[in-house]
Amino acid sequence: MTNAHVVNWARQIIVRRYQDPRPYLAEVEYVGHDCDLAVLKVEDGRFFQNLEPLEFGELPKVRSTVVTYGYPAGGEEISYTRGVVSRIELETYSYIGNRHFLCAQTDAAINPGNSGGPVIQDDRVVGVAFQGMPGLENTGFFIPPPVIEHFLKDIEDTHYDGIPQAGVRLAQLQNPAYRKLLKLPEDAQGARVDGLLPIPSTEKVLQEEDVILQVGSLAVASDAKVLYQGNRVSAALAFQLAQAGESIPLQVWRDGRRQEVSLPVFPYNGDHAAGYQHGSLPRYFVYGGLVFTPLSLDYLRTQGRGPTDSPAGELYYELYYRRYESPKTARAEPIVLAAVLADAVNANVSVRGQALVDQINGKRIEKLEDVVRAFETNTNAYEVIEFLPNHVIECLDRGDTAKANADILRTYGIGKDRRL
Amino acid sequence: MKPGVRLILLVMLAFPAGPIAGRAQGDRKDERSAWEHSIVTLEVARKQYDYYQPWSKGTRRLQKAGLVAGEREVLTTADEMFERTLVRLQKGGRGRWWIGEVKWIDYHANLALVTTPDADFWSDLKPATLGSAAPAQGAMQVLRWREGNLENRRAEFTQFSVREGQLSPINQAVLEVSSEIQGAGWGEPVVVNSHVAGLVTAQDGRNAYAMPASFIQAVLEARRRGTYHGLGYFHFYWQPAKNPATLALLGLRGEPRGVIVTHVPDRPDERERVLKPKDILLSIDGFDLDIQGDYTDPEFGHLNLESLATRRKWAGEDMKLQVWRDGKLMEASYRLPKFEYTNALVPYAVRDQEPEYLIVGGLVFQPLTDSYLQSWGADWKRSAPFRLYHYNNEEPTKERPALVLLSHVLPDAYNIGYQDQKYLVLHKVNGQSVSRLPELRDALQKPLDGFHVLEFVHGDSLHRMVLAAGDAEREATARVLQQYGIDRAFRFATPAGK
Repeated sequence: MTNAHVVNWARQIIVRRYQDPRPYLAEVEYVGHDCDLAVLKVEDGRFFQNLEPLEFGELPKVRSTVVTYGYPAGGEEISYTRGVVSRIELETYSYIGNRHFLCAQTDAAINPGNSGGPVIQDDRVVGVAFQGMPGLENTGFFIPPPVIEHFLKDIEDTHYDGIPQAGVRLAQLQNPAYRKLLKLPEDAQGARVDGLLPIPSTEKVLQEEDVILQVGSLAVASDAKVLYQGNRVSAALAFQLAQAGESIPLQVWRDGRRQEVSLPVFPYNGDHAAGYQHGSLPRYFVYGGLVFTPLSLDYLRTQGRGPTDSPAGELYYELYYRRYESPKTARAEPIVLAAVLADAVNANVSVRGQALVDQINGKRIEKLEDVVRAFETNTNAYEVIEFLPNHVIECLDRGDTAKANADILRTYGIGKDRRL
Repeated sequence: MKPGVRLILLVMLAFPAGPIAGRAQGDRKDERSAWEHSIVTLEVARKQYDYYQPWSKGTRRLQKAGLVAGEREVLTTADEMFERTLVRLQKGGRGRWWIGEVKWIDYHANLALVTTPDADFWSDLKPATLGSAAPAQGAMQVLRWREGNLENRRAEFTQFSVREGQLSPINQAVLEVSSEIQGAGWGEPVVVNSHVAGLVTAQDGRNAYAMPASFIQAVLEARRRGTYHGLGYFHFYWQPAKNPATLALLGLRGEPRGVIVTHVPDRPDERERVLKPKDILLSIDGFDLDIQGDYTDPEFGHLNLESLATRRKWAGEDMKLQVWRDGKLMEASYRLPKFEYTNALVPYAVRDQEPEYLIVGGLVFQPLTDSYLQSWGADWKRSAPFRLYHYNNEEPTKERPALVLLSHVLPDAYNIGYQDQKYLVLHKVNGQSVSRLPELRDALQKPLDGFHVLEFVHGDSLHRMVLAAGDAEREATARVLQQYGIDRAFRFATPAGK
């Protein structure tokens, strides 16, 4: 077992045994990009000779001592660092960027090279070291047993599905007036559903202003937290303990009374563009030297600009806000003109990139396939591309463009005009 | 040109240069003494608001340059003249100060006229001459009083450009000069020979940006005639027409020319929109537009078309447009809308008005304005919350002409559970849409079954809040005001806020 980010895009993986000079080839058998875990397979049976698998332990207690094993900053010999578990809560898993899962913080040094190494307590694995936090000294993070066990159970059917997302945004329910309006008892139970992601299975069962009292066996408190193995953590955890497709029994306060419902949960992919995408190459379509690609965090990161740098601000808004604020105008997969590969046919195109595509040849662009279709079905003399937000238009001569496509791809060494 | 011809020309030019240069030494002394009688110092004291705690304010005092420009009139820029409490005038760079009165001020044009009734002040002052045309080249100086001396810094002409005004986003022609003067941008005159070419409004390193004298003259003249009604602007978006294929698509024949209109928002004065998207704008008031959007200005040369909106035309005046639409040439008359800060969804600034706010049980509500966002400091465009800043890119509508936000919460038992909430833009209160503070006040008069139900714009933050109405609310508001040392629960700018 190691981290997904250790083996992502690897073309060769070599694993070594302690005090054994031989390299062993390995390959990725399972990978969970959301939880940053991977399982490797080593074909050479000699690798496992005289090796004993470690057992997994329980979620360690806060203030208990753990030892991290790894190769910080490279090095040939394994390094051990001792520390205490500082706190346990939901944290952003930075490898994917837009998921928050259970995470343990320790003051044991975790540096580049520690990734994927075990965190040991009482000879049992209680975590996989995986990330640090720039600017914070003596702070490292490891993936705790509940997440590891979820991953291992998930792959039992030889396929990794991912950690489910209920799509429920819970808000604290601590103001007495709100509790009174909802006719809730004056106790410390229940968090309010303040918003729902557009997940049909969730929208069928829950609605805004429901109060979630219990998720599975975990009672939800008015601070939108649950008590999990002695730790008060975000109630989002309670939805993540289930496997994909499982239904979770919920106790819900609705219309002034307690009700029981069953919520099926699944991994959510609707916001994949807002996180880092791993394991698949970016989609694109090149036409007349104009490179179109879906708007994504990966794309914005390549631009190296902050959200308030124009025109990146429009793109940030489109990626992170529009689907919440005006879902009716949001597109399934906003498309940007990423670059223009200079050629005589596009020499007069002023928009050179970082521009959100609104329409092509009069057709609204909802996803990359629409771009391809809009160009390939056009019979007019010109290709007309309209950009947002101010409706700037650019035109290409259709006949000239069709002739130039192959040359442009050849000039820039692009094997195929599309990856859909 | 042949090399021999060029040599002759150089010789011809060189001859008169000697005596002129010689005269300049003496003239400069005379000119300097002349300028001493036309340039004065202004000291402005003003209130400075803390938009994060809009009930509190500090003070600020600074000095700037003034130019005697007419009968008992000192001309200066309007920058830092807002929220003023006292204006004083000084001549000769030292000694006595006279109390000044602002006769006229226009923040959008960034101009002000100051006077004093005391005849002593005017006794040895004489008006400077504003140049009728800005110089294209030549030795210029930037002048100001500094520690009792008239500081005279050489300036070199760089270019004429079009930039946003210092106090408004209206694009105007700007005289750019390079100078070693430091800390300029406070109305220092740029002079050439014996006239004023412009007033410095900003500086960035060695580059100083000056408002051209011809613009100032035109505004002052229109004001004297009573025809100045504020600055106008072009309320439409356009793109350069550099792509011949786009012009061909739109059916324009002949040489590529003009710019393409891309977006025409509703006008703030609710007049009909003259232009339509995909119009090709060919000329404005007789000035032909090239494919970059430039025209040839008789005074400044190539300039961006945006500056035509402030070239001797003012809000409410008509401009003649030549437009290519649907394959035909047509003429149209475009009335310049008046620029107001409140034309935007997020007003560009608030001037001469104490910050508005409304406190309800510790919840602090404020209008979203750029003045508020500027409380994040000099780098506010980057450091202010992205979503709030991004509202600058959205247009106002009839349904949503402005925005009110819950800026923060002053903790109290009444608002427990909400104490960490901030920067939330209001959508509805008790079922009523809220765009301005008086609407919020009115909505709070109509609680729903004893509760206030607050709905915020759907986003990635809190959507809904409920608070107790009635006595609990009133008691909490009084308690918060007392505990946090705040005089009053609200301040509205409009008469509705009485």
